[in-house]
Amino acid sequence: MPGKSPWKMAVGATAIALLAAGCGSGGSDDSSSASNTVVIGIGEPQHLIPTNSTESNGSEVLASLFYPLVDFDAQNNPVPVAAESITADATSTVWTVKLKSGFTFSNGEPVTSDNYINAWNYGAYGPNGQGASYFFERIKGFADLQSKDPDGEEGPQKAPEPKAKTLEGLKKVDDTTFTITLSAPFAGWESVMGYSAFYPLPKAAWKSDGVLADGFEDAIIGNGPFKLKGKWEHDAQIVVEKVADFKGTVPKIDGITWKIYQDQQAEYADLVAGNVDVQTTIPIESLAKASADLGDRFKKSPNSTFQFVGFPTFQKEFSDVRVRQAISMAINRQEITDQIFLGSQSPATSFVSPVVAGYRENTCGDNCVYNPTKAKELYTAANGPKEMKITYNVDGNHKAWVDATCNQIKASLGINCVGGEEPKFADLLSKVEKKQPVGLIRLGWVMDYPLMENYLGPLYSTGGSSNYYGYSNPTFDNLVKEGSVAKTPQEAIAKWQAAEDILAKEMPVIPLRNGQNVFGYSTKVNNVNVDLFQKVDLYKIEVVG
Amino acid sequence: MFRYIVRRLLQMVLTFFGATFLLYALVFANQKDPIQALVGERPVTESQRIALTQRYHLDEGFFMQYWYYMKGLLTGDFGTSLTGRKIVDMMADAWPVTLRLALIAIVIAATFSVTVGVYSALKRGGLFDNVSLVITLVLLAMPIVVIAPLFQLIFGIQLGWFPPTATRDATVWQLLLPAIVLACIVIAPEMRVTRTSVVENLRADYVRTARAKGLTRMRVIWVHVLRNSLIPVVTLIGVDLGGLMAGAIVTEHVFNIPGVGFNLARAIRTEDGPLVVGFVSILVILFLFINLLVDLLYAALDPRIRYE
Amino acid sequence: MSDLNTVTAAEAPGGQPNVPHGPVKKDKPRSLAGDAWADLRKRKIFWIAVVLVAVVLVMAAWPTLFTSADPGACALANQYKGATGGALFGFDYQGCDIYAKVIYGARNSITVGVLATLLAGVIGLIFGLSAGYFGGLVDAILSRFIDIMLGVPFLLAGIVLSNRLSSDPKSNGIFAVTLTLGLLSWTTGARVMRSAVISAKNQDYVAAARMLGSPPARLIFRHILPNSIASFIVLLTLLLGINIASEATLSFLGVGLKNGAISWGIMIADGTQFARTEPWPLVWPAIFLGATVLAFIMLGDAVRDAFDPKLR
Repeated sequence: MPGKSPWKMAVGATAIALLAAGCGSGGSDDSSSASNTVVIGIGEPQHLIPTNSTESNGSEVLASLFYPLVDFDAQNNPVPVAAESITADATSTVWTVKLKSGFTFSNGEPVTSDNYINAWNYGAYGPNGQGASYFFERIKGFADLQSKDPDGEEGPQKAPEPKAKTLEGLKKVDDTTFTITLSAPFAGWESVMGYSAFYPLPKAAWKSDGVLADGFEDAIIGNGPFKLKGKWEHDAQIVVEKVADFKGTVPKIDGITWKIYQDQQAEYADLVAGNVDVQTTIPIESLAKASADLGDRFKKSPNSTFQFVGFPTFQKEFSDVRVRQAISMAINRQEITDQIFLGSQSPATSFVSPVVAGYRENTCGDNCVYNPTKAKELYTAANGPKEMKITYNVDGNHKAWVDATCNQIKASLGINCVGGEEPKFADLLSKVEKKQPVGLIRLGWVMDYPLMENYLGPLYSTGGSSNYYGYSNPTFDNLVKEGSVAKTPQEAIAKWQAAEDILAKEMPVIPLRNGQNVFGYSTKVNNVNVDLFQKVDLYKIEVVG
Repeated sequence: MFRYIVRRLLQMVLTFFGATFLLYALVFANQKDPIQALVGERPVTESQRIALTQRYHLDEGFFMQYWYYMKGLLTGDFGTSLTGRKIVDMMADAWPVTLRLALIAIVIAATFSVTVGVYSALKRGGLFDNVSLVITLVLLAMPIVVIAPLFQLIFGIQLGWFPPTATRDATVWQLLLPAIVLACIVIAPEMRVTRTSVVENLRADYVRTARAKGLTRMRVIWVHVLRNSLIPVVTLIGVDLGGLMAGAIVTEHVFNIPGVGFNLARAIRTEDGPLVVGFVSILVILFLFINLLVDLLYAALDPRIRYE
Repeated sequence: MSDLNTVTAAEAPGGQPNVPHGPVKKDKPRSLAGDAWADLRKRKIFWIAVVLVAVVLVMAAWPTLFTSADPGACALANQYKGATGGALFGFDYQGCDIYAKVIYGARNSITVGVLATLLAGVIGLIFGLSAGYFGGLVDAILSRFIDIMLGVPFLLAGIVLSNRLSSDPKSNGIFAVTLTLGLLSWTTGARVMRSAVISAKNQDYVAAARMLGSPPARLIFRHILPNSIASFIVLLTLLLGINIASEATLSFLGVGLKNGAISWGIMIADGTQFARTEPWPLVWPAIFLGATVLAFIMLGDAVRDAFDPKLR
């Protein structure tokens, strides 16, 4: 029977493979529940080098590993933390940072001025391609660290080496003092330094000057209250443990397991099952049951998310301001936040988030008040388009509210409105760049530092980094600039508010909603707070019992 | 037989290169702005764009990019993902857990569908047959994007029978629920095809002959009929691995398993060419081996089939 | 139909003239199709399936016969409201009339499902038949191509194909989705067909027919095909359901139906999201999808049985 043997072999092979499958699984559960540690859910961070980290997952983990120069108080004003003092000269151009002495990295190295200067130079140097390099833009000499591709991106020529490797504006005074010279005065600079891009890196980080050591990112060493235990286990977890004798504020817990989730629903399932202690963002699909599942462990707190839709200026059908006003008035924001977001977001009636100083309620005025009758009148008078589209990226959970918004517009204006699906945000952007008829585009913004300028600059200034719709108004640009160089915060805010008033008249975008943190925690922990940047307050959280 | 296997192995080498080429072309066709895709919704700075473009040769044509990739591959280097991680490391992390998941799922699916398929063929038109038809319909009407979260909700959270999520070092127990979900997508076709195939063979002459010889009914069914009915079923189980991999993208997402499906989904989303091609090349090799095995099984199941 | 393909019973596919053919009618030489039809007419299952398929097709062609409501008229004020008046199934998350949406969704789902499955069936049949019958080099090339196709992730190929195929920003994407699903779902059928052909071609009656000088075309279509197509047809009826549901996956990825098109797949995917809060928006389209697939499975089973002389 020649046919028999392969049959048997196949059976044998399957059996062996199954055995291997069964045995190969070493069930390990080393984060035991009895200890004074907590499990916090996050997504996979994109990077853990501070100057390359621009999203909330990375900055949450970094916040446990590093101790920032400044943090923010309850009113969102900066307070020095790792710095003894941060002072500016009369014009807010030269800033002097004095470090607290006695601090060390978790490998024992003392923290000195050089650690900051080297890390920042690395972050600003163009060829390193660091995601957060734009934070250093205001420092004198930033342009010299960049190189322009001579024949554009598509061309065959390579970009030349930049002129300089170090920022001209960074000067070491002594081991615990250094100065930062900005290329233009900026009164809000201290707030900017609260971002994770401004963390120091130890000597151990460098292979040679300006070159990171291989594998440093996976075993990163910081100056914070926790240190990495083992390595960054990609897509699985990052375990950190307390640093002995930490000189700064000492947290109440002994360690954190940052458990990595691909999906917030899975994380929520684990939260309910007690496998994770804190979830900072509960997905809207689970909100309806969250109160029942979690009771008073389901909480809300403000954050800086601002959701809006923009009118691409190349779409001429929206060039009449009455059309833009009418569409805005046709949307019932309250109904959407109540019924789609179940109160986890609130209607936006201004062009900046309520969390920044200088925010005023309802700067948008009547334009953001639901008024279908007036909307229809205006729209008919302006002869608005009979069909419109709201383009969005389907990977961001936007379908529900886009559909609802379109349905409201349909009902109010008597026109047809559909959601335009794009697989991801990059696809949406490439269509906008090619000036294809995308209709309204869905956008959102999370601030980097708590200043009005961080909304007005990137979103509405000519050439702003996220001004994808191409709004441009020189008067507005000047007011924003004047505010940035103003000597006192009050003066700055006055200018910025004047700028915001222009937006309310011209309606380049429709403000829709302000976000909130909707978070939950297990019975094992207490004192859980989530801040404006969607980070858990690691110094307050404690384990019950 | 030996020569046949050698020939198939040689074909595999060619297929492998064909596959990498086709895949690279697909990814290239899909590549619009990988740098923006990588950072999501954040704005990309000019210098970051230039730096990453040069590091990953993104500004060069398809053939140059493919050449860089193949050059690395021929020296055993799968290259670097756009996230900066070594692809070999990522594969070493992802493959074991997915293979275990897929194996458990295949075993569950094959056992269930062959048993149920055979019984419903024997009781054709009876209650059992109709119940199995209803199961088929429910499974068909509920795509994996529905079944996965529903099962997690019902059995993981509400009833608490299974752990709601699994990890990279998951135990068989943790993988059981996701494996059942995964099995669901292939059970319907496997069950129906088994049933059809058995029904056909029950009417064949050799069955009558065997019965006439005085063999027991059980022996006739489980030895003679089953063996002759298995060819299409075995084929299906072999190719179902593809369905399982597609299903793994959703299942791994829902149950938080950092395996192949998850990595593929991410790589496709971020237009990460080397990462996609690396993972899928291994997948294609796996297919080549499994289908070789399946073809050999034909000969084992039906002695009339010969390879030389 | 009896005038077509008239062959004598002795030459009937399967080449097993001794197998009894059910109640034999007098005199008249009968065709395979005629036989099948006579057999089908007597089956209850066949008629149930025909009625179900007809209803679904009418629903797809003339939705206004079933509902006067506009499926696009949705108001959040109606969110999750129960059945009222014309809205037999109540309202969904967006406050849309579920009944109207299910009726109007039939057209897109059926079009995509049937056409994509037909396309996949034709490609799979050609590939499977050629690979299985010719063997050797043809088999090697075709089979390895199938191996590659099986390895290419649906996600990637789906995104690339539908993106390439839908260039018109105003289209609803049906053409692109149908073509994409058809081009990506034929592989399983091809492999199953190939295996069945390999197994059938080694049967004695094929060898006998070949020795008698039967030309290849006759060998394939008269002898091999009818004896190897059973599993393939069963697979196709199931593929129909899978394709209707897969359309939802493409839409879920942002490359499926566009510009507000309605389909069962999209309704199911949307309904799942909030199934824990309100299951009905998921259950209703799933029932319709299930019933449609059931109808096609029954139809497929009945037709296949009728054409298969061994099963008489």
